[in-house]
Amino acid sequence: MSQVIRNTSESSGGRTPTAYFAAIRDVVVLELKQRLRSRGWYIMLAIWFALTGVVTWLTWASWNASLEAQRAYGGYTPPEASSPGSMIFEVVLAFVLLFALLVAPALSANAVTGDRAGGTLAILQVTLLEPGQILWGKFFAAWLAALAFLVASAPFLVIGVALGGLTPGHVVVSLVMLALEVGIVCALGVGISAMAGRPLFSIVTTYLAVAGLAVGTLIAFGLGTGLSHGTVLANQPQYRQSEPLSQGPVQPEYTCVGPLQEQPAMRTERVAWLLSMNPYVVVADAIPYRDRTAQQNSYMPAGAIENISQGARHALAGPEGSYPCANGEVKPQYLSQTTPLWPLGLVLQLALAGLLLWLGWRALRTPARRLAPGTRVA
Amino acid sequence: MAMISEVPGASAGPESGDGITANGVSRSFGTVRAVEHMDFHAPAGKVTALIGPNGAGKTTLLLMLASLLAPDEGTISVGGLDPLRQRTEVRGRLGWMPDTLGVWESLTAREILTQMARFYRLPAQGIGQRVSEMLERVRLGGLADQPARVLSRGQQQRLSLARALIHDPSVLLLDEPASGLDPGSRVELRIMLRQLAAEGKAVVVSSHVLSELDEVADGAVFVNKGRTVRQQTTAQAAAEGRRYAISGPDAAALAAKLTEFGLTFRREDGRHPDVSLMLQSDGDAERLLRDLVLAGVGISSFAPATGALEETYMNLEGEQQ
Repeated sequence: MSQVIRNTSESSGGRTPTAYFAAIRDVVVLELKQRLRSRGWYIMLAIWFALTGVVTWLTWASWNASLEAQRAYGGYTPPEASSPGSMIFEVVLAFVLLFALLVAPALSANAVTGDRAGGTLAILQVTLLEPGQILWGKFFAAWLAALAFLVASAPFLVIGVALGGLTPGHVVVSLVMLALEVGIVCALGVGISAMAGRPLFSIVTTYLAVAGLAVGTLIAFGLGTGLSHGTVLANQPQYRQSEPLSQGPVQPEYTCVGPLQEQPAMRTERVAWLLSMNPYVVVADAIPYRDRTAQQNSYMPAGAIENISQGARHALAGPEGSYPCANGEVKPQYLSQTTPLWPLGLVLQLALAGLLLWLGWRALRTPARRLAPGTRVA
Repeated sequence: MAMISEVPGASAGPESGDGITANGVSRSFGTVRAVEHMDFHAPAGKVTALIGPNGAGKTTLLLMLASLLAPDEGTISVGGLDPLRQRTEVRGRLGWMPDTLGVWESLTAREILTQMARFYRLPAQGIGQRVSEMLERVRLGGLADQPARVLSRGQQQRLSLARALIHDPSVLLLDEPASGLDPGSRVELRIMLRQLAAEGKAVVVSSHVLSELDEVADGAVFVNKGRTVRQQTTAQAAAEGRRYAISGPDAAALAAKLTEFGLTFRREDGRHPDVSLMLQSDGDAERLLRDLVLAGVGISSFAPATGALEETYMNLEGEQQ
């Protein structure tokens, strides 16, 4: 061995940000080389593409069928604006998010435990890599692998928009939000897998965590609402005579009269943060829809995205912002809440993901003081 | 191995000449005390064997030496540096080959070594050449661009050795490096370990194949039940005497002659009728063989019954009972 490579002089270079990120990139490259050379990933991607295509086509077909039925029997022509675009878009979006939540744990929850089981984790740990570099590398690799699934479903979201009614902005916003949600699930998976000893445990725990976000938050919100009885100061709304198709401004439909009194109400704003952590709420709430306060839009049929978003915003506003005549003021109607919930949800999700990644980072530090139960270093 | 190579830098500075040392290290996993107050020293330029039965704490000690596991108590020094505080510097000097194979199966041998070189922050422009050199050194040049999963166990073992050597560490920790190797590869491994020691590296080899260690190790540390039982050099082990087995066509005449020389011996019940006895040194063996031949006793074989290290090991086993 005539050539000797000394690297101690370079070791201080590892602390500059550039060198730190270069090492993360090296880990990502290593991970992706492994993932992209396994056939399973491509098979999953192909199934995903086909399935999303089938769902898109079925939604479109069922829309056409119901339109035909309405024309044939009811003689009813639906309004121009309610094209199938919004419906296909919503169905595909909900479907993509559902499957993203199902696929992302599979792509991330084995990232560290798999290496632990295969004996390759310690080989990385014994190099000059820092635990943070290993963890970030694994996270970005899992995220990139999951993003490929989003890219595969993007054409169908574009079809949803192309068929009418929506702007390219919808596609961009929904893809960005889906990417963020997938990233959060990947972070949960990688963090849990760094803490867990066995692959099975880590995968099951990650799925449970995702189920907790998607279903558990709804249950917790429902139960929490039942426990948040309160009161609100309000007087009596006086509704106007119903004037359908009136030309004047629609709102306000009522005026507030009489003395302020304590009225029983659900203080949903106290538990709205639970609802905000739901990935569906975050995605739906972030996607823009028509402004209902503008009069010409007020009787448009509301899509699923809008309903989810407004329902969540309604909960966030609480009785102070939604109860008729709370504090003697006219409150915006349902479907006219404007305070968004998704930034709160995203922050809470990021905090949860960050906490799990931090715990995972602690478990990857070497020389290790404590080991996950039932594991060997190598 | 009479190979002397001057390697600039490898043994520069007083601290890197120290090799690797553990002082009174302990480590328990839950209630299992894997290592208790173990002392260990492997000097630079020597091959040190770490010998002990299964479950003696060899791998735990090596993990602590490799800076993967923190000792509960005691200190470790790699070339005078503390792995807990000077992690990066220590890691740059350590090469570790685990007893589990641990290969990234989809990657080729060349890619694995390239990635490792990057993780050790070797200068980018030298990596390609360095990787090719290492692949040639472990005779994987022809398989360099095959995915690691098609390599046989022995080839993966050699790849694992190349991986541990990629950054030219001054301390090399090998956990059961010979397991799964065919006889030819074992000989090669032996030659390579001697070369590495001649380059000034501290080489630590854990194994329980003692006959092999005899040939390669300069010294040995015997451990059992989490404790250091004995540290000795191979020369010391040899000086403690070795059991020789002697056989000949006429076992009775051989026994009579040995009795006449006043030597204590015992009859072995092996497949060949022969006797065995303890001799203190190679000189004793030489004299006895000459005396027996001159006395006209037929000798068909005259050889050490066990390796020097094996003798110590078996004695320790006896003491432990």
